[in-house]
This record gives sequence, C-alpha cells and structure tokens, in this order.
Amino acid sequence: MNKLRGKVAVVGIGEVPTGRYPELDCMDYLVESSYQAVQDAGIDKDEIDFVIPCGTVYFQGFNSDLITSRIVEELGLKRVRNNAQVFSGGATSATMLKIAGSLIYAGEAKNVLCVHADKLGTGLTGQEGIDLFAYAGIHREWEVPFGQHYSAIAGLSLTRYMHETGTTDEHIAAVQVSNRKWAELNPNAMFRKPLTIEEVLKSKMLSTPLRAKQSNMLADGGSAFIVTEAQRAKDLTEKPVYLLGAGSRVTHYSLSQEKDITRFGYADAAREAFQQAQLSPGDIDIAELYDSYPIYELIALEELGFVERGEGGQFFLDGNTCPGGKLPVTTNGGMSSQGHTGGGGGVAILVEAIRQLMGKASQRQVKGARFAAVSATGGTYMDAHVEILGTEIP
Amino acid sequence: MTDTNTKPQRPLPEKSRVAIPFWNAMREGKFIIQKCNSCHSYVFYPRIRCPHCFSNNLDWEEASGKGTVYSYTTVVNNAPSGFINEMPYVVAIIRLAEGVQMLSNIVDCDPSEIYCDMPVEVVFEKLNEEIVLPKFKLVK
Repeated sequence: MNKLRGKVAVVGIGEVPTGRYPELDCMDYLVESSYQAVQDAGIDKDEIDFVIPCGTVYFQGFNSDLITSRIVEELGLKRVRNNAQVFSGGATSATMLKIAGSLIYAGEAKNVLCVHADKLGTGLTGQEGIDLFAYAGIHREWEVPFGQHYSAIAGLSLTRYMHETGTTDEHIAAVQVSNRKWAELNPNAMFRKPLTIEEVLKSKMLSTPLRAKQSNMLADGGSAFIVTEAQRAKDLTEKPVYLLGAGSRVTHYSLSQEKDITRFGYADAAREAFQQAQLSPGDIDIAELYDSYPIYELIALEELGFVERGEGGQFFLDGNTCPGGKLPVTTNGGMSSQGHTGGGGGVAILVEAIRQLMGKASQRQVKGARFAAVSATGGTYMDAHVEILGTEIP
Repeated sequence: MTDTNTKPQRPLPEKSRVAIPFWNAMREGKFIIQKCNSCHSYVFYPRIRCPHCFSNNLDWEEASGKGTVYSYTTVVNNAPSGFINEMPYVVAIIRLAEGVQMLSNIVDCDPSEIYCDMPVEVVFEKLNEEIVLPKFKLVK
C-alpha cells in the first residue's frame, strides 16, 4: 500500500436518500447513484473502464445480475473491460477503494466506478430482516443453533466492553445522540428527528444491554464513487480526495472465535494506515467511523488512537463528536441514523468522508477539513479497516 | 388462534463431516474437543487442520466441561424466528478451561445472576434423537 500513497484519488460521488421507498426498484438506486457520481466527476460515462459493484444482500437474484454485468448494460457503458463484484460485507467500501486504487496504479484501469445499492428496508419484512441477519456471517453449525444474531452480537460486545472499561449506558447512548445530531443535518438520512439520551435509554430492550434506539434500521439506498489516477484527478476537480493510507486485518469469522470482542484488529489497521499516510490521529479533521451499532463506533474511536481506551464514552457525552465539536465523528449519522443498507452502510460512510473533504457537505460541512480517517468492518466485525484520505499529499 | 404445528422450528446445527465424532459423543453425554498431536494445542470448533500448526494429525479428548463466561447477553426482543418462543434466552461466549472459546446458551438461571468471568460448566440439552447441544449452567 505504501506505493499507492497519493497515487489515486476519488473524483466523484453519488448517493440517493436512505430510507423506505417501496415504489422504487433497487436498480433505481444503482443507476441514480452511478449517474450522480459520473456527473460529479465531470467525465463521460464511456470513460469508465472498470466497474466494481458491491454485493447486494436483500435478494440473491439481483446480486447475480450485478455479478453478470447488468449495471454495465443498464448504464450503457461502452468501454468497460471488466465488471468484477467485490464484497466483504460492511467493509466493502474499504476493499473496493483499495482494489480500485491498485488496479489504477498497476495500469489495469483508468476510471473505476464503485457502486452499491440494496433494498433491505422494503425488499424484506421486518422478521425476514432479523432472520437474514441470524445467518449472514454466523456459523451454521456452531452459532446459529444457539440463537445468535446481530442484536445479540452487539449485546455481547457491550457487556464485555462495559465490564472492562466501566463505561455506562448513558455513555453508549451518547454515541447515538451524536450520530443523530449529524443526521438532523443530512437530507439523505432516514432518521432526522432530535433524540435525547433519555429517549435512547427508555427504548425497548433487544439483547441486554442493547436497546432498540441503539440499533440500526434496515433501509433502501445506494451510493457510488469514482476513482482515478492522481495526475488526472487534478484536471477534473479542484479538490480530488487522495488515498493516503490503508490498513486492515481479518481477525475471525465467528464472533465466538475472536479473542477480544472489545477491540478486534483496529489498532493494527490504524497503525498501518497512519504510517503510510505519514500522519497521526492529531492531524485528522474528521473521523468517519463505521457504527452499525454505536458500540463499534466507540471501539473504533479508541482503537484508532483518538482517545485512550475507556475514555470514548465521556468524549461522546461531552459533545466533542457533534456538529461544532473538536473531532466531528460519523457526520452522515451512521447506519444507526442514516440507515443500514447492508454492505452500503460502509460505502455511505466512505462517501461522506469524501463529500466532506470535497467541501460538498452543505449544512453539516466541517470547515477547512483536509484529512479524514475512515473505518469499516464487515460480517461479525470479522475485519477492521482504516483508510486515511486527504485533499493534499503531506 | 395459535397453531402450535406451524411454530417456526429451532434451527439445528448443519453438521460438518469433521465434527461427526463430536456430535456422536454428545449423544453419549460426552463433551469432546480436538487436540493437535503435532503442536499439542486444543482446538474448538473442530477443524480439518490445526489452525495453529496446519497439521492434520488431530485427536479427540474429553474436555473438562468447565469454563468461564467471557461475555453474555439476554435476548428479550426481536429474536430470529426459530427462537421467538425461547425468549428470554441467554447467549454467551464461554472460555473453556482448555483455552478455547465457544458460543452457547446459559440455562437454568436468573440472567441477573450472571457476570463476566463467572465459572460455568457444561450441560447436555437433547434437541432430538440426533442432536444434543452443549449448554452451560452457572457454578455458584
């Protein structure tokens, strides 16, 4: 990855609102997100020579369409040399960017379209959604028979994390409140009404100590971005967003096989990413941290080195991460407030980081943001990814 | 009207070839785990090759059945279909005395009595003639 530092850039982004849109097709989100990204990049659609669709979860048939180049046909892309799906669950954002960058650096591609869409909000009933996530990434022999599912997984991480650090329910609720304050300013977010700590703590208990308003909501949505060579990027846009560093670790498949469900591989991933970028956490203007559940956003804040272990909860509670705070965190509202679109939850967070650095985040723009750290993780938090992006190459 | 015949079934383990001795032993009330003959590590869940040294020279050994609670959660709402009738139920990660970890349920207890690192021991829960699951009870 050291070779890639500053060699590739994102030059265009697209995103449709996240929410429940039964009248729209999943293809609507894919085409519209891709269209916006192409327009934003200011390139001709036929300059795209490599398409990377992220996996779609709500319907296997639709996913097969993406594997077999349907998006190329729907968009009428004339000069695509490869359509290759990339999927590592919620970490696909990071994986797509790393692969797109490597292809460009190796000369295999010039302009790569990375795109995601899913219809988890209206393509499934509520119980079907729960049942899907009682299997996805969960071992069918050693975990499924014990009633494992994602609320329980978050409950397990919360119990141990709170035991080890003394973090309270109020601290955990503060993470969601911070996310919601950003979502209030995000027209693409599903939940935009103000939320208080008391409301979070009064909401229905799901899997102790996880409550309903600390959970994500499955949603429809789509987002896209276009990666190109750094040299070319400067001709296309005033503010290309350079990939400066990328670190990652795969630690497990089954949550029960992970030795530390309160840390995962984030610290190693962060060390790699910061070293490559030649930056440290103190240089970062925005931390776009993958949540899915607030506990994982809190863990990432600490493991990436922004605060000491066990101090993250108070950092959120003190408002440091909210609009106007000293370290804006997850400024689209995260999957817990923008909505959970499957693999796209992470793509939306990456797109938000790019949007902020491009200065296109309107009401929630963090002024003068130059460097962003982005985290991502997939499955049962099976991998930890950290990427450092910037408007300049330090 | 409730029709008990249409209640969603609890999912059974999708048994792997390598774990056949485990499931057979469970039916006889024995809780066995793998031990690598090359590097002497205990291994759970059962693997085709040792995850530490890559050897395929793995044997089975009766485990102590004792462990501690690494973490736990009580599922009270939004359970998967097959577990709606089981709520409330406790999902836990158990650290066995042999140093390996596994997912299970803690049964026959008031969930408020459970705490992290508490000792537990294995119990055998018969689901049907084929499947006996390893579950855990608190050691007080």
